Amino acid sequence: MTVKTHKTKPPRKRRGGFGSKQEQRFAYLMLLPALALVLIFRVIPLIWGFFLSLTNVDTLGNGDWVGFANYARAANDPTFQDSLINTVILLATLPIWVMLPMLLAILIHQGVPGGKFYRAVYFFPAVLSSVIIGAIFSVVLRYDGSLNNMLGAVGIDAIDWLGSSSNALGSLIAVQLWSTFGMGVLIFMSGLATVPDDIIEAARIDGAGFWQRLFLVIVPSLRPIIEFVAVVTTIGVLTSMFGLIYVLTGGGPGTSTTLPEFLIWLEQGKLNRPGYAAAISMILFVMMGGIAWMQVRIMSRNTNL
Amino acid sequence: MKTKPFLLAATAIGLVGAAAQAQELTVWDWKSGDPVTADYYDSAKAAFEAANPGATVKFVVQPHDQYYTLLGTALSSGKGPDVILLHGGAQAQTRADALLPLTAMADGFSGAEGFTANGEVIALPLTIQGFAVYYNRALYEAAGLDPNKAPSNFAELSTACEAIAAKGEVPCFALGNSQGFGGEFFISQIATSTFDDADYTAWAAGELAWTDPKVRAIADQWAAAAEAGWFYEGANSIAKFMDEYEMFMRGDAAHTVGLLSDVAHWKQFEEFHGEGGVGVFAYPNSDAELARLPFAGGIGWAASNQSAHPELALSLVEILADAERQAIFAVDTGALPANLAVDTSGLSSPALAEALALMAAAPGGMPHSILAPSVLEEWKRQSQLLLNGETDVDAAIEAMEVARNAN
Amino acid sequence: MSKPAKRDRRILWAASVPMMLLALSCVYPIYFAINNALKDRKGYILDRFGLVTDPSIENFVTAWSRARFDEYFFNSVTVTAGAVLALLLVSSLAGFALAVLRFPARKLIFGVILASLMIPVQVVLVPFYQTIVALELLNTRIGLILSYTAFFLPFSTYLMTAFYAALPRELVDAARVDGAKFLQVWWYVMLPMGKPALLTLGILNTLYCWNDVLISLLVLQDERTLMVGIAALRGEYTTNVPLLSAAIVLGAAPIVLLYVIFQRKIVAGIATGAVKG
Repeated sequence: MTVKTHKTKPPRKRRGGFGSKQEQRFAYLMLLPALALVLIFRVIPLIWGFFLSLTNVDTLGNGDWVGFANYARAANDPTFQDSLINTVILLATLPIWVMLPMLLAILIHQGVPGGKFYRAVYFFPAVLSSVIIGAIFSVVLRYDGSLNNMLGAVGIDAIDWLGSSSNALGSLIAVQLWSTFGMGVLIFMSGLATVPDDIIEAARIDGAGFWQRLFLVIVPSLRPIIEFVAVVTTIGVLTSMFGLIYVLTGGGPGTSTTLPEFLIWLEQGKLNRPGYAAAISMILFVMMGGIAWMQVRIMSRNTNL
Repeated sequence: MKTKPFLLAATAIGLVGAAAQAQELTVWDWKSGDPVTADYYDSAKAAFEAANPGATVKFVVQPHDQYYTLLGTALSSGKGPDVILLHGGAQAQTRADALLPLTAMADGFSGAEGFTANGEVIALPLTIQGFAVYYNRALYEAAGLDPNKAPSNFAELSTACEAIAAKGEVPCFALGNSQGFGGEFFISQIATSTFDDADYTAWAAGELAWTDPKVRAIADQWAAAAEAGWFYEGANSIAKFMDEYEMFMRGDAAHTVGLLSDVAHWKQFEEFHGEGGVGVFAYPNSDAELARLPFAGGIGWAASNQSAHPELALSLVEILADAERQAIFAVDTGALPANLAVDTSGLSSPALAEALALMAAAPGGMPHSILAPSVLEEWKRQSQLLLNGETDVDAAIEAMEVARNAN
Repeated sequence: MSKPAKRDRRILWAASVPMMLLALSCVYPIYFAINNALKDRKGYILDRFGLVTDPSIENFVTAWSRARFDEYFFNSVTVTAGAVLALLLVSSLAGFALAVLRFPARKLIFGVILASLMIPVQVVLVPFYQTIVALELLNTRIGLILSYTAFFLPFSTYLMTAFYAALPRELVDAARVDGAKFLQVWWYVMLPMGKPALLTLGILNTLYCWNDVLISLLVLQDERTLMVGIAALRGEYTTNVPLLSAAIVLGAAPIVLLYVIFQRKIVAGIATGAVKG
């Protein structure tokens, strides 16, 4: 987690060429367990899933080859289209997901009063499974829940956090953000440990104010971490919000919190259409492929590969 | 390092082989984790193992939210459980190809129609499921209504809701619709009073259009009730199970649409409001004279045709659904047993008596349970939007037709 | 000190207020879970937010026995320990090869492993299950350990590769000049050097494995891990919040304890790793 900041190290792919035959053999041997696991449990199922998406099998395995009919269905499915729009909205909030933990980590690093305590408890929600987080926030955010009670006490009208189409997705995003920001703080903290104190100190002596130091010195030096957190967060929000959606909104009201992963679950189980679910899965994977490409580039650069 | 996984896999194969030797049946359900059902399951296990020496049974409780996903993946790989708990209606019928026919054992059960596919009974019902309106007599009295006179038609229900609204303390109906269950139940609440046999057939086949007046009435009356302020305002933010019912239990709403099966029913409500504190009626359709009470087979036991021990699986299904076991389940949970031989005298309460009388006098079916799942999903969405006023009935009907035709 | 320092302190104090509120919200779940776990069902329905008036440990007892926590707990510990160990070994081996050794197709292999990070469980649900069935791994703990290893491996491999790539090259060269074989270099040099990263990965992977529901549900269908047992307590209709809360307290306690014990080490480990780099 620490290491991606070491982009300044001289790349070691210098002087070209490969190692000795023995070195090469050892390399493949050492990679074998990792490659075998990834291929068997992830890559092969993915290819298998692609073939499944070209059929209309039911849960009993009966079905026919239907070509790209499931993809055509997706193109005409208003629910799927809405889920894509929701995904775009979700991705648009990405800067918050990165900036908030970064700001908190910098403040702790700069010695905010109580920083040690914050660092310890911020990680806490990340430890909890989405089952408990969902149970808590369904009590907090419901129309007669504790948040509206508190707002009522200071004279603010009740807001329908989860029940109205305009608020539900935002509320869901806020809860997911709350439950994961601690991980980001931890990653940024480790990154900040690599920013030499004397650079910050020098800037201070030069008369740079708090915010100037923050934006002109600290943030630029965190760039690799920012990229890393951005990519990891993107994967997280696209693939791990099912638990919260299920408990808090069930994808509604209407389709306002239906994300592709929730739709996959719905089609797969309740609606009993594994072929169509596989097609949506493939579309989701290809969408993420664009991000994957970006990610591989960023991560490769940071490891000097 | 590289050989390790394969060695381990080989060991695992050995273990699986050994397990198959002992005649162990696996049962999947989503009920056996509930402490209240412990005696029922213990009794069934003991009876089965006594009747089939050498055989054992293992009950595996699955999380309900992943139940059908898991079942689907397992059945499609031929690795499903021997005995399966299923919901009546579409969920059971679409899996008929994986189940053993039970028609020979199905005499003496009510609600078996919901578990019938291609002329064969495919599961033995355990409970009767139905939707009854429960009302809080104390709140009726407080609003100046006669607590012993349940509304029997739409006009009387309107009067009651107006009186409760005039009092201004609680909403007329507790409602939870965050997962769309409020809307789902409403289909059966309304359509049960007007659907005839031909309608049921056409509806199940997806041939009854949402523009048909009998169907459109569902959306019309849902929107009208919301417009009239009958429902709890934050309905889309709370779950029907159990937020809505907890609201009713606290006395924070005058009515709730509850169940006849093992939860959210008279037994739980009387626990909070006392015997006689809760009354029951059938939700009236404004287009019908008689308000029918919708009910059908609720959940039932099926045997998988992939089972390695089909005779044992059938024997277990029979035991799980027999009168002795159903009596335990009924008394412990308060569910109405589907086995007609069960002595229900252990179940007695004023509210239950009212429900049983309604079931005899004005029985209706459960149209929502035979609707295609994808159309039902769309209605749940539209019901939420209608409550919020984010769509209108015409647009909702149009969306329903798109969903029906896409299916 | 000088004026700017004073202004800094003012900014930091001002920032401390919202940060404190945020910290309180992070502690709230502990209060919520424990408070409600001590209520009975009726007490919870009648007063959901208030402090428990008549505390009882009944829910803990029920959760422990009815949800068969002894059995599930053992499954969770076995599987998590096995998977974390496997993850650390496999990712450290792969990281060493990718970061230090020179061989053809290195970039390609690294790319494949990273790209598989983008395959979410939902996308491969059915085929993944069928793979498990085909390998006869269904309902085996080994199957679940291998699945966890496969699913969390890409991230771990990336991290180890990045970590090793940042170590001084001279260390490896020196070890090799001494005549050490690659496997010995890995065992005697890379593994001890990788401690900070391995510790961080150990904690993160423990967290992922312990909290997972979906993969465990698919692979161990007849047996249970703790989180699946807890998820199954939420019935079709009933959610017995006090019972669920008690189960969650029991399920989260080991992880919270682990985190509290190792927290200092994690942060220290990260710091030393950074200095070494």
